[in-house]
Amino acid sequence: MGKEKIQINEEFWDIMPDDYKDLVTHSTYGKTDRGWKDVGSSTELIAEHSLCAGCPESIAFRHIMASIPAPEDTVMVGSTGCTSLVFPMVAVHNIHSLFGNQNAVATGLKRALNVRFPDKTKDVIVLAGDGATVDIGLDMTLQSWFRGEKFTTICFDNELYANTGGQESGLMQKGFVAKMAPVGKKFEKVRLPEIARESGCAYVAVLTTSKPSLVEKVVRQAVLIAREIGPTYLQIYTPCILEIGKQSMEGLQEMRDAESAGERFKFREYVTPEAQAFIDEVAAKKKAEKLASTSN
Amino acid sequence: MYNVAEISEEACVANKGCRLCIMYCPEANCILMNDEKKVAYVVESRCKGCELCVVVCNAAKHSAVAMVSR
Ligand SMILES: Cc1ncc(C[n+]2csc(CCOP(=O)(O)OP(=O)(O)O)c2C)c(N)n1
Ligand code: SF4
Ligand code: SF4
Ligand code: SF4
Ligand SMILES: [Mg+2]
Repeated sequence: MGKEKIQINEEFWDIMPDDYKDLVTHSTYGKTDRGWKDVGSSTELIAEHSLCAGCPESIAFRHIMASIPAPEDTVMVGSTGCTSLVFPMVAVHNIHSLFGNQNAVATGLKRALNVRFPDKTKDVIVLAGDGATVDIGLDMTLQSWFRGEKFTTICFDNELYANTGGQESGLMQKGFVAKMAPVGKKFEKVRLPEIARESGCAYVAVLTTSKPSLVEKVVRQAVLIAREIGPTYLQIYTPCILEIGKQSMEGLQEMRDAESAGERFKFREYVTPEAQAFIDEVAAKKKAEKLASTSN
Repeated sequence: MYNVAEISEEACVANKGCRLCIMYCPEANCILMNDEKKVAYVVESRCKGCELCVVVCNAAKHSAVAMVSR
């Protein structure tokens, strides 16, 4: 498995775009210990896209694409929103679903992959905005968790509908006034992580993308747990700097402020005992492998 | 005119393991490592001029990135 899948037939090498050739020669497909440390010295699985300058969604996208454990055997499912401007530039198979339908599409996809490739491990990862996950797609999101569908759902929570100019979302903070929601939100931010825990998710984490090492850890855990145990959910704060009136270089500080003690994106995770036992097992195996390789 | 980031080879301390700008630049494959010289460099055609690299490099007191117009 790995790089051979994307090899270019020698006959066509001279007519392929440079970006594709870079992916073949310098990317991390097939590297089992791939992670954020590879960025800068290997070709990333994401290319030039049209998100705003400084958008934290792009930072999060980079960290996630660097962290998914087996990109060559992963299919991502996106939905409408700012993230959908990036998917055409992502070097992992992906499906664009109708707004809100992403977890239903991912369900069918994951089941079909199991039938088509019974001897292989195929990961399915949904990546969608808060509007898609919590408002218009809430039915599909929850039903997939109730059914225990084995894939990972990642929500890019920017607390509003960014792509359509700033409407209110269920994940928006109480009292927040947006360009297209001038009255101010009247009710609390929906507690989707807690709902996810109660709805059957084996692993849930809430974070920002201010620490790539943490993103790597939770993404790997979420994908591995979804393979073996059940649904997993990550909610990542990716502030829409444009809609909250920040400058292009202020996104990182905004995330750091929002994850400080007592704030709404302070890191938290919910792990079922079964998922915890699995994480411990994976860690013990890794440790044993490391020991074996150093003693050789 | 367009603003892009430029890294000073003299001031960059990537040889000591710094990767801050590479970690936080929102654009992929935009700040890369020159593995021979052990310094970071900007691929100008991919830079959107957001200045986040300047902020993180300055915060770490390396001050190796400046914005230049093209
Ligand atoms: C079925 C359907 N309903 C409504 C829309 C209009 N629409 C496009 S993007 C969007 C909001 C996206 O918000 P979110 O999911 O939070 O993503 P963001 O842009 O904030 O990243 C809406 C309502 C649509 N494209 N399709
Ligand atoms: S509108 Fe907001 S979320 Fe969308 S690309 Fe711009 S900054 Fe990012
Ligand atoms: S943050 Fe500054 S010192 Fe560090 S690698 Fe980037 S340019 Fe060099
Ligand atoms: S200005 Fe922004 S886009 Fe350009 S190199 Fe710096 S962080 Fe990257
Ligand atoms: Mg949103």
